[in-house]
Amino acid sequence: MTRPSPPSRSASAPSPRSRRVFLRQLGLAAAGVALTPPLLQACGGGEGGKDRELVISNFPLYIDVDAPGVPGSVSRFQNDTGIQVRYVEDVNDVRQFFARIQPQLAAGRPLAQDLIVLTGWTAERLIRLGWMEPLPLAEVPNARNLVPSLRKPSWDPEQRFSLPWQSGIAGIAYNIKATGRELRGIDDLFDPALKGRVSALLEMRDTMGLLMLADGQDITRPTWAAAQPSFDRLEQARKDGQIRRFTGNDYQTDLLAGNLAACIGWSGDVAQLAMEQPDLRFLVPDSGGVLWADVMLMPKGARHPQEVARWLNWIYEPVEAARIAAAVQYISPVEGVREVLAKDPATAALANNPLMFPDAAMLKKLHVFGPLSDQEEARWEERFARITEG
Amino acid sequence: MPVSPRAELRRHWPWLLLTPGLLWLLALYVLPLLALVPLSLSEPLSRFGLDTVFTGRVANYLEVLQAYGPILVRSFSYALVATAVGLVLAYPLAFAIRFRGGRWQPLLIGLVVLPSLTSFLVRAIAWTSLLGDSGPVLGLVDTLGLTELLNGLGVLRDGRLLNTPASVILGLTNGVLPFLVLPLVVAMERIDPRLLEAAADLHAGPLRSFARVVWPLSLPGLGAGILLSLIPAAGDVVNPLFLGGPNERMIANTIDNLLLVQLQAPRAAALTLVLMALISVAVVLQLRSRGVEDLPLP
Repeated sequence: MTRPSPPSRSASAPSPRSRRVFLRQLGLAAAGVALTPPLLQACGGGEGGKDRELVISNFPLYIDVDAPGVPGSVSRFQNDTGIQVRYVEDVNDVRQFFARIQPQLAAGRPLAQDLIVLTGWTAERLIRLGWMEPLPLAEVPNARNLVPSLRKPSWDPEQRFSLPWQSGIAGIAYNIKATGRELRGIDDLFDPALKGRVSALLEMRDTMGLLMLADGQDITRPTWAAAQPSFDRLEQARKDGQIRRFTGNDYQTDLLAGNLAACIGWSGDVAQLAMEQPDLRFLVPDSGGVLWADVMLMPKGARHPQEVARWLNWIYEPVEAARIAAAVQYISPVEGVREVLAKDPATAALANNPLMFPDAAMLKKLHVFGPLSDQEEARWEERFARITEG
Repeated sequence: MPVSPRAELRRHWPWLLLTPGLLWLLALYVLPLLALVPLSLSEPLSRFGLDTVFTGRVANYLEVLQAYGPILVRSFSYALVATAVGLVLAYPLAFAIRFRGGRWQPLLIGLVVLPSLTSFLVRAIAWTSLLGDSGPVLGLVDTLGLTELLNGLGVLRDGRLLNTPASVILGLTNGVLPFLVLPLVVAMERIDPRLLEAAADLHAGPLRSFARVVWPLSLPGLGAGILLSLIPAAGDVVNPLFLGGPNERMIANTIDNLLLVQLQAPRAAALTLVLMALISVAVVLQLRSRGVEDLPLP
């Protein structure tokens, strides 16, 4: 893999870094605000599957990108298949993305996208609402490479509508220079010494999951009553100014800019950021980390199902999946990736990274947030919003 | 005597000219706004559907007022403080442009407007770089040894500026400055310089002639500026989002969250109408006291 080498630790570094931070944040904001119109324009082109096009929405920084001399996955797929891909990184917060696609789907109109990548619990909701098309899995022989632990998940019990993109862990990210010490668990986020330099995720299941695990609760069967102490703790911390912000992917900017000492974050992001900022650490607390999966879904009326099948089959090839895994450093859902990484001296170290390939000890600490009924979820989200939105 | 067609046309001419604008306002402003009224009295049919059913549920209003009243108060407080800070900056600026600008006046006015040509969003994000914990603003404050003082005054929170009330107000002030400066310049533009000469002839010093001539004659611009600044500031969504934290959210953020995240369109509509009503009160008060002639086109 070609990657920018980590910047030197000299004190003269901040100006290019802060410019990069600025550009990165601008990109994230633009993804949320500005990229919808081009997607809408995509509706007009071609008819049927003849135009050999594929429109994908995904989270930002979630794939290997073109580097000098090394084309990224999207380019390689285009070269291999002749299919034009519009790959748009416009999912910053899944709830806002859901709200954006909801009017069209509810009215029975197709989206511009052929494939969207969203978190497991959103997938469950979209499948249950009948807004998704079964994936053309008959034309995806490589789907057999899906790791056993992610087969027939709770959000798609028959494995008809979704295939995982990546899975990962919600835990604690911190800058060891800013904290001045190693952190050990969730309690450290509430340390008064870090007041105003801590953030938590807007992704309710990740933030609440970690807090509830620290409180000794079972998050695989979440209940309203069991969540109250964690809600109270979060609310108090927000009122006290302990928590500076609630974020989507944008916590990365604040972490790099030095505005955060510690935060709730996602494993792969932090592995990527650590290449720019070597003082960053990622911790899965002993009380437990939250395991999640982001999955690919095909909305009803998607225009290019054959191209979707080609894409799914292509990225479920272990060699291709390994390139994505090496770039994003999340948990790859594709069997055989570890072996591919181990063979290449440049990536061999990743094959032994427990955050990418959790060992037995790590797996014991990881929990998946269980399902909430509609009514329960509405109640949870309202309380969570009252905390995150002041 | 029958009116000739030409005279008829001439009589209706102004209305014909106004028609495109009025239709535009009607279709894109008045009708959507009216549609909010029944929506605000409805209930969602299902949790994830868009459909609502009209039930005349007035409780929507009571609930949002009870839940988000403090955020409404915060929004108008921030807007007032931002306007006040903006006035302290804008008044001398406008005075200098009008009475000392000379041939540079158009250029100076251009410079006041220039930042507005940058996107709102880009400006807010630029501020996050400037105001960050290791950014240049705090670096300067630290070099000048002002950290303790500003902490004590409550401007800084534990030595931080970004994601505090002060940084939100700073962003708002930056946004409204042109809306304050331009009406003031226009009002001062109308002051006949001979009045100042006359004041001097009558032995009024600079302070006295300012207090008796310039200040009273600039008041219409002041009123217009305050209004033009309060309205956008109170409804701002970008500055609290990027420059504030969860304790600095303003009412537009709440509406955004209710509509787009919690999918509660009726309550979002109710809160929107409450905000509109409060702002309309301010507008009506201003129009009753001054009329529209002092509202410049920014």
